[in-house]
Amino acid sequence: MPDPLRVVIAEDHYLVREGTRRLLEDTGDVQVLAAVGTAGELLDAVARLRPDVVIADIRMPPGHHTEGITAAHAIRAAHPGIGVVMLSQHANEHYAFDLFRRGTDGLAYLLKERIGELDELLRALREVAAGRSVVDPRIVEVLMGSHARTADAPLAALTRRELDVLRHMAQGKTNRSIAESLTLSESTIEKHVNSTFAKLGLAEEPQLHRRVSAVLAYLRHAPAPGPEGPAASGGV
Amino acid sequence: MRIAAVSGGLCLAWAGLIGSIHLDSRFTLPWTLGAVVPCYFAGLFGWWYAPAHPVARRLLLIGSLLAVSMALRYTAMLLSLGVGWGREDLEAILPPAEDLVVLMASEVIDLAVSILVVRLLALLPDGRYRFPGERALLRSMWALLLLPVVLPPAGVRAGTVGYVVFYYPEAWFPGLGALLLVIRALRARAAGQRDAARLLPAATAGAVLFLARASARLFRTWQGEDGFFYLLGTVLGALPYVVISLCVVYAAFRYRLLGVDIVLRPSVVHGTLWLIINSWYLGMAMTLGLTAGQYLPIGLAVLIAVTATALFQPLRARLNRLAERRVFGRRLSSFELLVQFGTTLEHAYDLRRLAPQLALCLKEGLNLRWVRVRLGGSGLPAALGAVGEQLPGPRGEFPLWYGDEVLGVIEFGPRTDRRFTPEDHDVVETLARQAALAVHNVRLTAELASRVEEVQRQTRELQASRARIVHAQDSERRRIERRLHDGIQQELVALVAKLRLARNRLDRGGDVLAALTEVQDDAYRVIDELREVAHGIHPPVLTDQGLVAAVTSCARRMPVPVTVHSAARLERLRLPLDVEESAFYLVSEALTNVIKHAAANRVTIRLALGAGRLSVEVADDGVGFAAEHTRTTGGLGLTGMRDRTEAVGGTLRITSRPGAGTTVHARLPARVREEAGA
Repeated sequence: MPDPLRVVIAEDHYLVREGTRRLLEDTGDVQVLAAVGTAGELLDAVARLRPDVVIADIRMPPGHHTEGITAAHAIRAAHPGIGVVMLSQHANEHYAFDLFRRGTDGLAYLLKERIGELDELLRALREVAAGRSVVDPRIVEVLMGSHARTADAPLAALTRRELDVLRHMAQGKTNRSIAESLTLSESTIEKHVNSTFAKLGLAEEPQLHRRVSAVLAYLRHAPAPGPEGPAASGGV
Repeated sequence: MRIAAVSGGLCLAWAGLIGSIHLDSRFTLPWTLGAVVPCYFAGLFGWWYAPAHPVARRLLLIGSLLAVSMALRYTAMLLSLGVGWGREDLEAILPPAEDLVVLMASEVIDLAVSILVVRLLALLPDGRYRFPGERALLRSMWALLLLPVVLPPAGVRAGTVGYVVFYYPEAWFPGLGALLLVIRALRARAAGQRDAARLLPAATAGAVLFLARASARLFRTWQGEDGFFYLLGTVLGALPYVVISLCVVYAAFRYRLLGVDIVLRPSVVHGTLWLIINSWYLGMAMTLGLTAGQYLPIGLAVLIAVTATALFQPLRARLNRLAERRVFGRRLSSFELLVQFGTTLEHAYDLRRLAPQLALCLKEGLNLRWVRVRLGGSGLPAALGAVGEQLPGPRGEFPLWYGDEVLGVIEFGPRTDRRFTPEDHDVVETLARQAALAVHNVRLTAELASRVEEVQRQTRELQASRARIVHAQDSERRRIERRLHDGIQQELVALVAKLRLARNRLDRGGDVLAALTEVQDDAYRVIDELREVAHGIHPPVLTDQGLVAAVTSCARRMPVPVTVHSAARLERLRLPLDVEESAFYLVSEALTNVIKHAAANRVTIRLALGAGRLSVEVADDGVGFAAEHTRTTGGLGLTGMRDRTEAVGGTLRITSRPGAGTTVHARLPARVREEAGA
């Protein structure tokens, strides 16, 4: 049994805040250090308590816009070791893009109703605590099902096979599992991944960051779905 | 006729000469100046311009005959004085044979004059027979000419003959002529001949005047053929001839009585009138002075003469002015001209009225032969005004300047009376400036009117669109209310029921896992539903992330491929909320239309920012529609789109053709609210 994750919850709605706290404490895997109602209080608590992970609502007083995202960026900038799980009522990819604007490490974007999927929530908490990233399946679903294109989509430069590989990357798969899915050799997948990075201008980035950026590039400019259909979960 | 004119002129000169030098000018001058000169010159004038006109011919004949008669009479008098025929008074005793011949000739001529006067008056205005009886009556009058020949041999006394053939006709015939003219005018009125009927008042006045004068003569007989009253009578006796001459000359010019064309120089007419008026005045004044000198001490006589002259002077001046005004029209001083035109300008809002007014004002004021005015400039229809017949020849031209703009032009011919002076030039220039200002004002007024109209139209449109927006808002509220009550609330009620069911099952110790899972799934569905309703009310991404994010996100959820082109800069900046909302509403409404109606394979959205305006374009490759369809029905939510666009001061253009897709293009005013760093 690993040490319980030390968590701070920021949520302005009292019932949701206390409900979430009880749910998490109930699992025994999580120790809730504090539950606060505003972004300011959250930053105080983080500075004070140095949690492993922060769970924050995207809309908080005073503006009820995207205070959670601003706080997340501040926390990540000040404490790179603290992961942030953003709970959002918006099933809109642009909020995720906004959250991942400065990099994806240690950040998760989940819809609020995932509180009900306790396992998913716990998994996301662990992922971000480990410095990885999670995107809500619902967001990936939107992007995968999307027909939209923007004019300067960098994905236009990718070959069909590279797009396939990228799509699987977006579903959080490793090179090995992608190779298995596409019945190709792992080295072939590696080659496709590298050429994809090069075409997306990510050749100079560190390995992990490149993968996330590539996936985000995919998310942003997703082409029509391939034969495989939408992914169910988006751990990267 | 020419002979009559020449001989008349010669006789006039001769009679005037001997009359004034050798005879007692008291008796000769009044008659000469008062009757003979006016008649002769008026006749000469008329005959000169209308040689064939009966009135002109008769008048000249009258003048000439009067002159001849006078010359004969005076010659006889001179002879009797100088050669010593020894008789002071030609009419007092029976003359010798030579005298008889002279006298008879003179009497015949005088009688002829009287008959001619009757004919002249009775046949005005054209001098031709019109009605039955006129010819017979007037022709029969010539029979009177036999009287001077027949009466003396018949033993009638010379004095009586004089009365019969000269004195009475001379007195009564002008009145008779005027009476006949009255009758003629009445008949003309009955016959609907307006030219002659118009003479009725003048004819009546003439008849009364002449008959009154003739009646006055009756009393003169008892006064004797001498003295002050005789002279006064002579002066007044000349009245018919003066009046007739004046009338004929005036009418000739003013009403083309003699068919004299209008181009005849008004100065000639004026000169003739002047001559007649001043002859009469001179005769009058001299008669008074001389008569007074005969009966009164010389000092008093001079005083009376001077006083009388002074008294008649205003009358003469007034007559002269009247003649001048009648002939040349109302003369206006430059100042009067400006004032008059200024008054006109105060009410100038219609150029089509102003142009002729200005033309007339210039022509009357400056005696110009013709004036042409064209008003109007950029943005105004040209208004033309022309007075007088435009003839080739010298011409002036004034453009109407307002600033650097020409707002019209004034063209004009020469003056009728004298040369065009620098002062006249200044007057025209000043008027041109005023007119330019007036045109400018009219243009401003027109612009103002059209703007007011535009504002009123916009106000009406605004009210209508406001009503539509309110209506749309209300129906949207009702729709949301329905979705909340009929959808989400019902789902929540069902959820409560299922939870109760799970509790019951738990109480009975049953398995609740499946029931709870179902409840959770239902709850997820309610959340989704709620999210959709909230998004329908207002998409949060628009507020939080801006237009491009909201549009791409909207586009991603479309079942047809939608390509979004947007400038990179547009993604970084935020526009005013109302503009963003209108643009988004436009896009989502257009996309809804595409899905519902267009059957399109792809849609392209272009967002661009330039020159302070946001340009939003949604183009599809669908079935399109005929433009009239939307214009008449306002359907497809296009009115709502238009209202929404115009509410923020934008414009909407929808182009579509059946089979060629539809493009919705809006331009919205957009100032940048905030711009992100990178």
